[in-house]
Amino acid sequence: MGEVSTAGSGVGARVRRKEDDRLLRGRGRFVGDIALVGMKELAFVRSPVAHATITGIEIPEEHRGAVFTWADLAAGGVKPIRAVSGLPGFKVSEQPALADGKVRFVGEPVAVCVAATRAEAEDIAASVFVDYAELPVNSDMLEAVTPGAPKVHDHWPDNVFLETNVGGNIAEIAATAPVKVSRTIRTARQCMVPLEGKGVVAHWDRHVEQLVLTTSTQMPHIVRAGLSECLDLDQGLIRVVAPDVGGGFGWKGLLQPEEIVAAWIAMRLDRPVRWTEDRREHLVAAANAREHHYEITAYADERGRLLGIEADAWVDAGAYSVYPFSACLEAAQVGSILPGPYDFAHYRCRTFSVCTNKPPIVPYRGVARTGVCFAMEQMIDAVADAVGREPWQVRLENLVPPEKMPFDNVTKKHFDSGDYPESVRRAVAAIELEGWRARQKSGEPDGRLIGVGFATYCEQSAHGTAVYHGWGIPMVPGHEQAQARITPDGGLELRVGVQSHGQSMETTFAQVAHEVLGIPLEKIKLVHGDTGLTPYSTGTWGSRSMVMAGGAVATACRTLAERLRKIGAHLMQAGPDGVVLEGGLVRAGPAAVTIREIAHTWYRAPQLLPADVDRGGLEVTAGYKPGSDHGTFSYATHAVALAVDPEIGQVEILDYLVVEDAGTMVNPMVVDGQIYGGVAQGVGTALYERMPYDAEGQPLASTFADYLVPGFTEVPHVRIIHMLTPSPYTEFGVKGIGEGGAIAPPAAICNAINDALKPLGVTVTNAPMTPEVILGAIAETRGAA
Amino acid sequence: MSAHAKTISLTVNGTRVEASVPPRQHLGDFLRERELLTGTHLGCEHGVCGACTILIDGEPARSCITFAVACDGRSVTTVEGLDDDPVATELREAFSAEHGLQCGFCTPGMLVAARDVVLRRPDADNPAIRTAMSGNLCRCTGYVGIVNAIRRVIDARNTNAG
Repeated sequence: MGEVSTAGSGVGARVRRKEDDRLLRGRGRFVGDIALVGMKELAFVRSPVAHATITGIEIPEEHRGAVFTWADLAAGGVKPIRAVSGLPGFKVSEQPALADGKVRFVGEPVAVCVAATRAEAEDIAASVFVDYAELPVNSDMLEAVTPGAPKVHDHWPDNVFLETNVGGNIAEIAATAPVKVSRTIRTARQCMVPLEGKGVVAHWDRHVEQLVLTTSTQMPHIVRAGLSECLDLDQGLIRVVAPDVGGGFGWKGLLQPEEIVAAWIAMRLDRPVRWTEDRREHLVAAANAREHHYEITAYADERGRLLGIEADAWVDAGAYSVYPFSACLEAAQVGSILPGPYDFAHYRCRTFSVCTNKPPIVPYRGVARTGVCFAMEQMIDAVADAVGREPWQVRLENLVPPEKMPFDNVTKKHFDSGDYPESVRRAVAAIELEGWRARQKSGEPDGRLIGVGFATYCEQSAHGTAVYHGWGIPMVPGHEQAQARITPDGGLELRVGVQSHGQSMETTFAQVAHEVLGIPLEKIKLVHGDTGLTPYSTGTWGSRSMVMAGGAVATACRTLAERLRKIGAHLMQAGPDGVVLEGGLVRAGPAAVTIREIAHTWYRAPQLLPADVDRGGLEVTAGYKPGSDHGTFSYATHAVALAVDPEIGQVEILDYLVVEDAGTMVNPMVVDGQIYGGVAQGVGTALYERMPYDAEGQPLASTFADYLVPGFTEVPHVRIIHMLTPSPYTEFGVKGIGEGGAIAPPAAICNAINDALKPLGVTVTNAPMTPEVILGAIAETRGAA
Repeated sequence: MSAHAKTISLTVNGTRVEASVPPRQHLGDFLRERELLTGTHLGCEHGVCGACTILIDGEPARSCITFAVACDGRSVTTVEGLDDDPVATELREAFSAEHGLQCGFCTPGMLVAARDVVLRRPDADNPAIRTAMSGNLCRCTGYVGIVNAIRRVIDARNTNAG
């Protein structure tokens, strides 16, 4: 572990971002900003029905040659997407980039239309007539697993991608536990809604004889691997480039059918082509996240000490298995992470990845954790209610205590470090619980009901090799690599295969390099997101980039530092002892040479180099893995105080607090930004965002007027308290932090709403907790009374 | 389609532009595709997200629900035209200091809307800033940095004026 400073511009410094200026002047370069000479635009004909056999596609005579279907792609050798998990029992789906005789969700691409402008391409799309023979639809995952349900994939015996079973030693506890509480809990299907939709520009570079695909992605190297498999094209013939990417949150972490189609059309027509996802396409065809259903029981003693958890969980995985994460990652993850940050001994969880007539599920910020936390934290509050204690007290009763760290939990997750109970204690103090309790007792003049809720989670991030090997999916992270190169004028170029889409990597990786080498930030350039220029990487997902690629940058820079010291010592005619690199200078006693002088020597005055100089020169590619293959565990307690209006079901957040521990922070401003943004998305999950489907599988929201993304007046001015427990396993002790903010808000807000509704005897368990849901629960309780 | 094209004359970032445009083309596409002013971002194309906000005759407007043909004789200013604008300069500084942007996609629209708030509402407290900005969506920042940035500019201007 290195020295960590909070001043200056190295690790720990709150420095401004290098990427800001171009973005603030409207001079970034997003996919939609790219225009190539002769470029054509694409528009897709998409299925208007959820499940049907295609009995005919009529293309008007005047548009023949401008419309392509799967028959054209298949004749050209294009293969369907296969994202297979190696877990036993996994059923394989094949997803053709354009529908092959059958459609399985509304929005599925059926044909692609090519024209000079997007408007003209859409005109052509509107003129294509597709004959659909409609089939019975699976629009609800619980009905899809009942006997006799229509099958999404005809050759499967049922509609389950995968069933998993974890644990099992629960029967005795279930029979003897003094306290037993059960809940049915559900989260809604969501869209991730990055403000920039997906987009892709494809062309064949005749000079280098490569397909160049510029795409709004989080994982260019994985897109290249997937394209290679589906197009049957050597990876050396494909270059994937990510330009500025306008948010991702998981939606841009997959190989998309549209990417395959654009690539194939560009090669077929030998013309550049562009596809830009519009908002309606996103809301309809990419409603693909979060939909969980739990039947869960907690067993506890009279103090609320957890004895065991037993659960069945269903995840609506949609119609196909996505590349690279597969259809089962989310549900299978539920089984392994449902126990959360708690220490208990008995556990059984069965999960089902259910295949339905909806868009294929893609891991959204926090992946399964948001649903898991929503379920588990409701159970902690339910246990607290049953034993008559404050929910925070029951959390303290059960959280892994600091003296047990590092700790292996009931599902063999290896928690690296931290003081989980302290995060609760600080949250209780900082939200000023006593004051809210007093206010609850005295009542509100406007009749609203006050509630306070807490939720605690821990989040595995920067996953290692073993866990992904265990999933057996197309992507397994190994050593992350970075290349560091001193330029001839003494600057530094860093090349990494991860891709920033808002995470500020141009700044934070420069801070890491500065920490090691002392080169000023303005002389450090990050090159990323380009398979032609960077080392292989699985990309940016799972809160991994700073731990993994940041670790690789530090490792590469340390090797560079060693080489700089050797050359510098030689130039000063000093022995190796006592030669140090600090502040961008190599020093030997009072003598010093600059990195610029050393760079000049290597590149332009090599006659001055020592005879035994390292022939690798001032360029290093280094690989990195943390000391533990289990990754890092960041954690937090969220606390919220809110008011519920029982007459109209409206919720107003009055205070929102996050007490979090991400280990050492490379740039506290950036960490705070990730938390603020995550919480905003979590508030959306909790209170607003839901893609409703009717029984025919029709999505009932297709604009921002009916799919509600929280805005300035819905998101609270979040307060953050940091704890700083370094991970023992990573460079500088950093932990992954990118997703955490989005995990706990639905749970904390649900617990607060139920705290508020307690006097009415009302409990809500499903997200989003819209006025309709809250009023429905109140009416149901009144009706029963 | 070109048979239906209309010729319009307008000012874009201070420069006179004459163009033949299809009647159905919205101003955002016109600015991006014809004028190559790609700083105006299209986030929803149905007038909700605010990413495409520009100025028409000095007033904020959604370029995605404004037809280019309706801008004949008007003066249009995009984010690229605010390089030397004093309020925008203060806002850029404050957005950077307060981490008011992450991916940067909503940012041009945010700046145009924020500039309007600073000019029209020097009295705004934070809830008023939030209400005034509620026509713009951001998916990255959780809005805290944006509110703080606008707060910083309003406070600095009030201090300097006082």
